[in-house]
Amino acid sequence: MTDRERLMLVISRSDFMLTELRLYLDTHGSCPNALRLYKKYQTMKAEAVKEYTEKYGAITPDAVDTSCGWMWTKSPWPWEGDC
Amino acid sequence: MWIYEKKLQYPVNIKRCDPNAARIIITQLGGPDGELGASLRYLNQRYSMTQDKVKATLTDIGTEELAHMEIVSAIVHQLTKNLSVDQIKAGGFAPYFVDHTTGVYPVSAAGVPYSVMTFQVKGDPITDLTEDLAAEQKARTTYDNILRLVDDPDVRDVIKFLRQREIVHFQRFGEALRIVQDDLNAKNFYAFNPSFDKNCNKGYRK
Repeated sequence: MTDRERLMLVISRSDFMLTELRLYLDTHGSCPNALRLYKKYQTMKAEAVKEYTEKYGAITPDAVDTSCGWMWTKSPWPWEGDC
Repeated sequence: MWIYEKKLQYPVNIKRCDPNAARIIITQLGGPDGELGASLRYLNQRYSMTQDKVKATLTDIGTEELAHMEIVSAIVHQLTKNLSVDQIKAGGFAPYFVDHTTGVYPVSAAGVPYSVMTFQVKGDPITDLTEDLAAEQKARTTYDNILRLVDDPDVRDVIKFLRQREIVHFQRFGEALRIVQDDLNAKNFYAFNPSFDKNCNKGYRK
C-alpha cells in the first residue's frame, strides 16, 4: 500500500466513523460515549486530511493550495478506478 | 462524496406568505427546467466525460445545483408557512395542499411530479454539454418568467441571484464544450464519440 492509499484509508475510516456516529447522535445526543468517540474521530480525520492535502492535493475545493496553481481538476477522479 | 453545510448559498428571508407565488416558483424545484433535474443531469453526465477540466466543471456545477434546490425549497417553504385555509383557497393552492399539505414536494407549476424524462445522459461529451447549455438557458428563461409574475422584493432578490448563476453556468459549459472540441479533429467534431470511440483525439495517428 502506498502512503497515499494509507492516508486515504485513514480519512475514509475516520469519516465513516463520524457518519455513523452522527446518525446515532442525531437521536441520542446526550450519549457521553458517542460524544467522546465523535471527538476522537474528528481529530483523526482532521489530521489525516491535513497531511493528505499537503502531500497529494485537496479533497475539498476550498482547501486547494493555489501556490501550486489550480490543481482541483487533476486526475484521478474518485469514480475512475484502475481501468 | 458530499458533506452537508448548515447554511444556504444565498439567504432567504420572506416576510409575507404567498401561495400563488409558491405554486409558480416550485417549478424550479420539480419542473422540467428545475434545479433537481439540473443537479441530476450534471452529476450523472460526469462519468462519460473525457477531460479533467470538464469532469471538474460538472462536479462543481452539479454540486452548486444541490444548493439551489435547497434555496428554491426554502422559498416555497417560507411562502407557504402559516397559511390559513382561506388563503389556500384564494391562492389557488388547494390542489397542491390536498396531496402535500404545505410540505415541499418536487412538482412543476402545473402540478406534474418531477420526472427524469426531462433530461438525458447520452454518454457523448459533445451531445451532453450541448444539452447543458440549453438547460441553463431554459432555467434562465424560467427565472425571467418568475420575475414577470412575482412582485415581493424579498422573493425577487433571491430569484435574481439564481438567474445570474444560470448565466455563469452557461458561460462555463460553453468553455467546457470548447475544451472537448479543441481535442478533436477540427474538420469534423461529430465523426466520433470521444467517450466511446478509441483513439479519436488529436494526437492520434493511424
